[in-house]
Amino acid sequence: MESLEEIKTRVEAAVPGADISIIPNPGPANQPSLLIDNEHAPHVARFLRDDPALRLDHCSNVTGVDWLDRTVTKKVKVKKLVEGEEKEVEETHEEFFPGYLESVYHLYSMALKQGPVIIRMRTADRGEGARLPSLTPVYRSADFQEREIFDLYGIRFDGHPDLRRILMWDEFEDYPMRKDYREPDDYEYEPTPHDDVLEKAKQHYSTRPQLDGAEELTAQE
Amino acid sequence: MTPNPYFFIVIFVGVAVVFPLMPLGLAWLWRHFFQPPKPGAQKNATYECGVESLGEAHVQFQSQYYLYCIIFLIFDVEAVFLVPFAVAFTGLPVGAFVAILIFLLLLIEGLVWAWSKGCLSWAREKSVE
Amino acid sequence: MSEQIDEGLKSELQKQGIWVTSTQELYNWGRRNSIWPLQFGLACCAIEMIATAASRYDLARFGGEVFRPSPRQADLMIVAGTVTKKMAPQIVRLYNQMPDPKYVISMGACAISGGPFKQGYNVLKGIDRYIPVDVYIPGCPPRPEALLHAFMELQRKIDGQKLTGENKAAHLDRAQPSEFPVPAFGAHDLEPPSNLDLFRPPQIERV
Repeated sequence: MESLEEIKTRVEAAVPGADISIIPNPGPANQPSLLIDNEHAPHVARFLRDDPALRLDHCSNVTGVDWLDRTVTKKVKVKKLVEGEEKEVEETHEEFFPGYLESVYHLYSMALKQGPVIIRMRTADRGEGARLPSLTPVYRSADFQEREIFDLYGIRFDGHPDLRRILMWDEFEDYPMRKDYREPDDYEYEPTPHDDVLEKAKQHYSTRPQLDGAEELTAQE
Repeated sequence: MTPNPYFFIVIFVGVAVVFPLMPLGLAWLWRHFFQPPKPGAQKNATYECGVESLGEAHVQFQSQYYLYCIIFLIFDVEAVFLVPFAVAFTGLPVGAFVAILIFLLLLIEGLVWAWSKGCLSWAREKSVE
Repeated sequence: MSEQIDEGLKSELQKQGIWVTSTQELYNWGRRNSIWPLQFGLACCAIEMIATAASRYDLARFGGEVFRPSPRQADLMIVAGTVTKKMAPQIVRLYNQMPDPKYVISMGACAISGGPFKQGYNVLKGIDRYIPVDVYIPGCPPRPEALLHAFMELQRKIDGQKLTGENKAAHLDRAQPSEFPVPAFGAHDLEPPSNLDLFRPPQIERV
């Protein structure tokens, strides 16, 4: 199969205006992916599916990824004039990266027995702008998986034929696979609480001490 | 003295009535003395799959469905006649062959008529005028 | 009927060829030897339950082979597997639709407490939050022998149930409920998260 760079140039030639960049994957899997802008994603997907050299006719997997807001502090050495002398001074820069949600599609070709080509799309933010174009009109098998991402991550897929919750009940309001999801406090007795569970236990006992005999635990801590 | 021959039937009827009534009566007595009935809204609910029932229980079938059934019946009967005919085909005179051809022709004519009336297309928006 | 027959007298009579019993014994004997389970499985434990009912382990030896597809004809609910929060109302509704007397075996770690999924977002932390459980079997999944053991324990329990008196069986007591409230799907969790009349989280005792 041709390299990702070649695919990128060919896609950009075929879909005018498409903004595509290659996301490297430095891990042991070494599966770089194509980041596609939301507006042209269905066209790009249709090109990948129908192109005679690629024929990526099988969408095997759709995944959601949650990226939280993060701030990266960098120390930069800057030359400055201090008391008439030029000195190197370290300055700390805080850079803020807003969070976003991603959906990742793994595409294979059944006809040519090649793949995967991984494409991904990013939402504008994690709140109201968590919208992506649906690739279900292109890949029928993405239907349930996009519904699952909608259910667990809260990405709205525009153009999806039947966007409902699939695993949780319809009345459910949270998105449980998001990193900042807090499950309801129905903690109960745990014989050996540790790490996250211990944290949960402490919070639980501060809110509902009357139920579980928490006096001993708080006294002990 | 020999008993009336119908006497045994009277005994039979008596046993036939008592036999099913006895366990019912025992169950009634058991309920009365030991086990109080505990009916409830969910226990008496009609649907028993654990899911709450939705909508109407009375589903109306399209009249189309019955037409379909009748047309199917025609071919069913046709198969009933054709199978023995096919089995005994070699030993039959020409007259029988002609007769079964006429029979088939009648059925095909009926099918063509039903087809032209639109009976074979399922779930039409409007019925044929 | 509350008067028990003297055991010595009973065995003495039996030696003479006279078999005496009480209504209570006869009633419990009949009930414990034909326990019909409700036919449903929730997860992997159901495979073990099927194996128990099949020829090698043969639940029929204990009178429990007649798995009923309708709750109206079932005596026993074997909660075999993970109970998700989406499934819990259906389980409770099925339990409510079973006629009295009815029993529940909570089979496997998930049905007891949520098991390995206890800290997850969508698994009920034990079916005993909503319906009364008679026998708990630990294991992930429990072997068919464990289910047979639970079945025999249940038979022992049925055998000991009183027909009259203060502590008579729950289904004979007019005051004991036969239906339990079905939890509703809430915005964040099931409403209520547990039936507090039935379920109290265990107390922590630390020395």
